[in-house]
Amino acid sequence: MALSSLKLRMGRTLLTLLTVAACCAFLLFLLTAPISDDPAERQMWGLMITLSLLVSVAGVLNTMLMSVTQRYREIGTIKCLGALDSFVMLSVMLESALLGLTGAVFGIIGGLVLSTLVGLLEAGAGVFAAAYWTGLWWKVIVAALVGLGLTTLGAAFPAAVAARMPPVEAMRGEK
Amino acid sequence: MPEAAAKTKADYWMADLSQAVDCTVMARGVEVVYEMGSEKIHALQGVDAQIFTGEYISIMGPSGSGKTTFFNVVGGLMKPSAGSVYIDEIDIAQLDAGELAWLRCRKIGYIFQSYNIVKVMTALENVMLPMLFAGVPQDEAQNRAVEILTRVGLGDRFLHTPKELSGGQQQRVAIARAFANKPAIILADEPTANLDLHTGEEIIALMKEMNREEGVTVICSTHDHKMLDISDRIMWMEDGRVKKLARRDEVDIKIDEFEEENKA
Repeated sequence: MALSSLKLRMGRTLLTLLTVAACCAFLLFLLTAPISDDPAERQMWGLMITLSLLVSVAGVLNTMLMSVTQRYREIGTIKCLGALDSFVMLSVMLESALLGLTGAVFGIIGGLVLSTLVGLLEAGAGVFAAAYWTGLWWKVIVAALVGLGLTTLGAAFPAAVAARMPPVEAMRGEK
Repeated sequence: MPEAAAKTKADYWMADLSQAVDCTVMARGVEVVYEMGSEKIHALQGVDAQIFTGEYISIMGPSGSGKTTFFNVVGGLMKPSAGSVYIDEIDIAQLDAGELAWLRCRKIGYIFQSYNIVKVMTALENVMLPMLFAGVPQDEAQNRAVEILTRVGLGDRFLHTPKELSGGQQQRVAIARAFANKPAIILADEPTANLDLHTGEEIIALMKEMNREEGVTVICSTHDHKMLDISDRIMWMEDGRVKKLARRDEVDIKIDEFEEENKA
């Protein structure tokens, strides 16, 4: 159900997916690319990461809120059929997590490509040496977790809205 | 207090009626107040009603009469501000959100004016949904869904989504879905309002048939006079009160009178 609901709102979903992906890519790039040790510069990068994370959360929030409000009647209906609040909440969260997961996968691929390109410029062929990629695994995992965490964070409020919606909404006629 | 006096009188009348029969729904002095900012709107002002097991009751009334509110209260969708509503001897005012969901799932089937079939699911999945909420195993739910969809005449359209079904067929899916958990009550909110005359008649006939065969109580709000014809009893509401509650054979002639009244 979460999957097909994503399909219905493809346009906006894609856009959000893009922001999540970009965010993860950016994060992974910064984690892997050689950045100078200058504390001022590090701080600037940190600020940029935070900003991109915030934008991404806002994007997810918007998409999920739209997804919930557009389905007011549908959610009301399934509540009439006996769905518990927790079920409604879970299905919204699941939809969002699906989005986050896909975004993270794309973002990680993008980030790796970006890092390799920049590495090629800086270190030449040395980029293909194993030593260049130390600790890559946990970096990828961090980026994926951030992607997933982001969408979960953004979906929490819309999910609560959906769960608390009174089933009476279903009784309303055509909008 | 004239209000209290009226209530007592109604109580006596109800008591007479209910002597020999089981009640599925019993409403006593139900009041619902909406608060719109500082303004208070009394949607129901002391409704008493008893709805008997297995009967088909139609509720009529102009918009703003409290018809929809009464419906929502009886359907466990809303709690009354005062008074009590018993569904199958359960006082719904005592239930928390989870228990209300349980009640809606097992005791009540809903049929909506605009069908409200879940768009992304097939007819079969739609009918299975309430059964899965009730904890029926997948296979069993599927078998029952197939059986009941065949009953409502959609034997060859299990895997169609609402987009591929006409309004009448969607309403049939909704009826199958409402009956899926063998509820005690079916609540139908103007089920024929969005349908053309002929399809509406088919849906009415189907609902009556299901009402008879399954022995389920049907409560139906409607403006459709054909609907009244098959009802066991008819209830008129006005200004948040029950204006009249009468058996079908008693009101045969009076329907016209009622129309005249409404026109005036």
